[in-house]
Amino acid sequence: MFRGALWLLAGRGYVGRGLSTRSGGSTPDWTEKVSEIKKKIQSALPGGPWDPLYDTSHLPPEHSDVVIVGGGVLGLSVAYWLKRLEKPRGAIKVLVVDRDHTYSQASTGLSVGGIRQQFSLPENIQLSLFSVDFLRNINEYLAVVDDPPLDVQFNPSGYLLLASEKGAAIMESNVKVQRQEGAKVCLMSPEQLQNKFPWINTDGVALASYGFITSSSRMQTSSGKEMTLKRIHEVHVKMDHSLEYQPVECALVINAAGAWSGQVAELAGIGKGPPGTLEGTKLPVEPRKRYVYFWHCPEGPGLETPFMADTSGAYFRREGLGHNYLGGCSPTEEEEPDPGNLEVDHDFFQDKVWPHLAHRVPAFQSLKVRSAWAGYYDYNTFDQNGVVGPHPLVVNMYFATGFSGHGLQQAPAVGRAVAEMVLEGQFQTINLSSLLFSRFYLGEKVEERNII
Amino acid sequence: MLKIIIPTTMLIPLTWLSKSNMLWINSTIYSLMISMTCLPLMNQFCDNSLNMSLLFFSDSLSTPLLMLTTWLLPLMIIASQYHMAKEPLARKKLYITMMILLQVFLIMTFSATELIMFYILFEATLVPTLIMITRWGGQTERLNAGIYFLFYTLAGSLPLLVALIYTQTTLGSLNLLLAQYWIEPSTPVWSDSLLWLAYMLAFMVKMPLYGLHLWLPKAHVEAPIAGSMVLAAILLKLGGYGMLRITLMLSPTANFMAYPFLMLSLWGMVMTSSICLRQTDLKSLIAYSSVSHMALVIMAILIQSPWSFMGATALMIAHGLTSSLLFCLANSNYERTHSRTMILARGLQMILPLMAAWWLLASLTNLALPPSINLIGELFVTASMFSWSNFSIILLGINIVITALYTLYMLIMTQRGKYTYHVHNIKPSFTRENTLMSLHLTPLLLLMISPKIILGTMY
Repeated sequence: MFRGALWLLAGRGYVGRGLSTRSGGSTPDWTEKVSEIKKKIQSALPGGPWDPLYDTSHLPPEHSDVVIVGGGVLGLSVAYWLKRLEKPRGAIKVLVVDRDHTYSQASTGLSVGGIRQQFSLPENIQLSLFSVDFLRNINEYLAVVDDPPLDVQFNPSGYLLLASEKGAAIMESNVKVQRQEGAKVCLMSPEQLQNKFPWINTDGVALASYGFITSSSRMQTSSGKEMTLKRIHEVHVKMDHSLEYQPVECALVINAAGAWSGQVAELAGIGKGPPGTLEGTKLPVEPRKRYVYFWHCPEGPGLETPFMADTSGAYFRREGLGHNYLGGCSPTEEEEPDPGNLEVDHDFFQDKVWPHLAHRVPAFQSLKVRSAWAGYYDYNTFDQNGVVGPHPLVVNMYFATGFSGHGLQQAPAVGRAVAEMVLEGQFQTINLSSLLFSRFYLGEKVEERNII
Repeated sequence: MLKIIIPTTMLIPLTWLSKSNMLWINSTIYSLMISMTCLPLMNQFCDNSLNMSLLFFSDSLSTPLLMLTTWLLPLMIIASQYHMAKEPLARKKLYITMMILLQVFLIMTFSATELIMFYILFEATLVPTLIMITRWGGQTERLNAGIYFLFYTLAGSLPLLVALIYTQTTLGSLNLLLAQYWIEPSTPVWSDSLLWLAYMLAFMVKMPLYGLHLWLPKAHVEAPIAGSMVLAAILLKLGGYGMLRITLMLSPTANFMAYPFLMLSLWGMVMTSSICLRQTDLKSLIAYSSVSHMALVIMAILIQSPWSFMGATALMIAHGLTSSLLFCLANSNYERTHSRTMILARGLQMILPLMAAWWLLASLTNLALPPSINLIGELFVTASMFSWSNFSIILLGINIVITALYTLYMLIMTQRGKYTYHVHNIKPSFTRENTLMSLHLTPLLLLMISPKIILGTMY
C-alpha cells in the first residue's frame, strides 16, 4: 500500500513534468506566431505610408563616428587599429560597410598571399616589416579570450627575387635601402643560389636577393589649398537587393574599397573639376584582373621553397605539403585582360607563364594545372603604390587603398597608420607622408623599382 | 501672471500663422519681449509674496525660476534653427509649438498657489518634453531614453498625488501660502515617514537623486538641443522648487527621513563627478555634471538651514544657465562634425577662437570660479553642510576638485592642442550661435553684481 502511494505520487510527478515541458515547449512558438500574425495582417491590409511596426534592426545604425567603405583586409585593419588605439575605451563608433559579405570578388580572398620586404621604397619596407611582425605575433593582437589561438597559416619560407644582368644594379641598391631600414636580406650569386636551391636553373640570373624579417618607425604630415573644401555629412548605405537605404550620419569616411575605390571617390566628388587642378585630380585606382594558377608537380621543389619571383616577372610559391604550387605572372600593358569579369584565361598560362617557370625550374616542365582563378588588383595607375591619408579638399575622407597587389601584405601597418592619422592627426610610427593623395596633383611619383 | 501666460499662449497662433521666412524671427523676438515682462515681478515689496490672484503668486523663490524659464524660450528657439532647417514647415511649427506649450506649463507650475494645480502642471510638462525627445532626437536610442524619462518621473510622482489628496482631506486646503502657517508639529506617527517619502520621491527623481538618476544621461544625450536645454535648465529645477516648498509643510516631524537621501547625495555627487572624467561623449559628460551639481542642491534642501536654502536657490539658477550654455556649445560642435565623441574634434581654439572664449567662460562658471554665482551657491551649501556635520567637508572638497578636473579636461580636450585634420574646414561660428552664447552668459555675469535677487526667500 505504501509502495502504491509512492507509485501514485511518482506518477503524478511524472504527469506534472510532462505538463511543464509542454508549456515550456510552447514559448518559442509564441514569437513565431506573433511574426506570422504580423505577416498576415500586413498582407491583408493595403500598404500605407505609415507603418508603426516597421522594424529597422536589419539596417545599419543612423549614426556612426567613422564609416569605413570596404570590408576587405584594409578596411578591417583600419577598424581594428582605430578601436585598439583609442585611449578611452568605447570612444569611437566604427561602421564597416561592404557590398558583398561573401567577399566573392574581393582582392583579399583571391590573392596569392605572399609577403616580402624587398621593396625599394623605404616606406614600403617599413610597412611590410611591421606587417610580418603582426602576423608572426598574431595571437598578441587578435586573440579572443577563451577562444582557441589563431592560425593564419603563416609560412615564413622567405622570398627570393631574381635579377638578370640589367636589373642587378637596381637590386643591389634596393638591398642597401632594405638593409638600412632593418630588413634582413642577403644577396646571392648564381653559384650560391645553385647550392642553396638545387632545383633552380640559374641561367640568366646575375643576382638574387633572399630576404627575411624584423621592424622599425617615424612621422609627419601635409596641408590643403584654398579651394572649395567639401565635407561628407552622411553616407547612404543601400541594402542588398532592395531599394531601402539608411543614411548614416558620420564624422569621417575611410575609403578602403580596394579595386572600386575610384568609383567610391567619384561619389564623394573627388575628380570633378577642370583637369590639371586639385579639384580635377581623380583617385587613379582602377581594377586590374590578374590570374592565379594552382598546379601540382610531383618532382617539384620541396619544403624549403621560397616565394620565388623570376626575372621574367613570373612568380610562384609552395602551397601545403603535397607538391602543390600557386603562381602567376603580371601581364604587360598591351596584354591587360578586361576587368569586367573574373573569367580565367588558361591560354595565358600556357603561353606566358609556363615557359618561364619551366625555364627557371626544370622540374616544372611536367606539371598539371589543378585549378585557376582571377582576382582584382586595386591598381594605382599613377605609380602602383598605395594611397594613404586624407584628401586635401574633401576633408573628412581618408584613403587606405591603391596598393596594387601588395595590399594584403601591408594591411596591418597601413591600418595602424590610418588610425594614427585619425586619432592623433599625424603618422606616429611609420611616416607615410610620401603616400598622401596630394602627390597625384603635384606629379611626384613614388615608384617601386621592382614590381610584380 | 496672466500678463505673462496669455502672451505665451498666444505665441502658438503666432507660429502657426507666420510666413515661413518670418517663423524663427517672430517667435524669437516675441518670446524675448515676454521675458522682459517677467522682470517687474522681481520687485518684491513684501517679505512674504506677491499675490496676483487666487491661482497665481510669485515670491522671491519662484521669481528667479520664472525669469529663467521665460529667458530660456528664445534661447531654445535660436538654438534649434540649424537642425530644423531641413524639416517641412508644419514640423518646424509643431516643434516650436511644443516648446511654447512646455513654457506655458512651466510658468504656471512655478507660479501656482494650489498644490494640486502645481502637481497637474508638473506632470503636464512631461508630455511636450517626451514628444520632443522621441520625435526629434538624434538616434534610435531616443525611444529607450523617452521611456526611461517618462516612467521614472511618472512612477516617482504617483505617490505625490496620493499624499497631496490625503493632505487636502486632512488639512482642508492645499494653498501654499496658508499651508506654511497651518502646520503644527503633532505627535510623531509611523506614517509620517511614509508621507514624507511620498512627497519627496517625485522631486528626488526629478532632481535627480543619485540612485534614481538613470534617466538623465539617456534623456539628455538623445534629446535635440532645445530638449537638452530645457531639461537641464528648468525641469531639474522643478524638483528643487517642489522640495523647497514642501519641506516647509513637512518639517520638523520627519526630519530623520532625510538622512538616507543625504548620504546618497553626498556619495552620488562624488561618484557622478568621477564618471565625468571617463566620459567620451561630450553631451554625456555635461549630463553627468548636471547630476553632480543637483546633488549639492538636494543636500542643501534636506538640511534646511537658511544659508543652505540661499545656496540651493542660487545654485539652481546658476546651474541652469551654465548647463544650458554647455549644451549649446556641445551642440555647435556636433552640428559641424556630426559626432559627439570628444577625441574626434580637438584643437578648436585655433579654428574658432571666439567660440573658444565662450567655452572658456562656460568652463570657468561650471567649475565655480569666484566671483560667479555658481561659487556663491556652492560656497553657501558647503558652509552650511560643514556646520551640519564636520565630516561632510571631505567629500565636498573632493567633489569641488573633481568638478574642476573634469571641466578643465573637457575644455582642454575640445579646445587646446593640435586640431584633428578633418575639422579644418568646418563652418565658422554663426552670429546666431554667438548671440546664443552671449545671451546665456550675460545674465550669469551680470548676476555677479547683485546676487541677492537669486538668493531666495531666506535672504
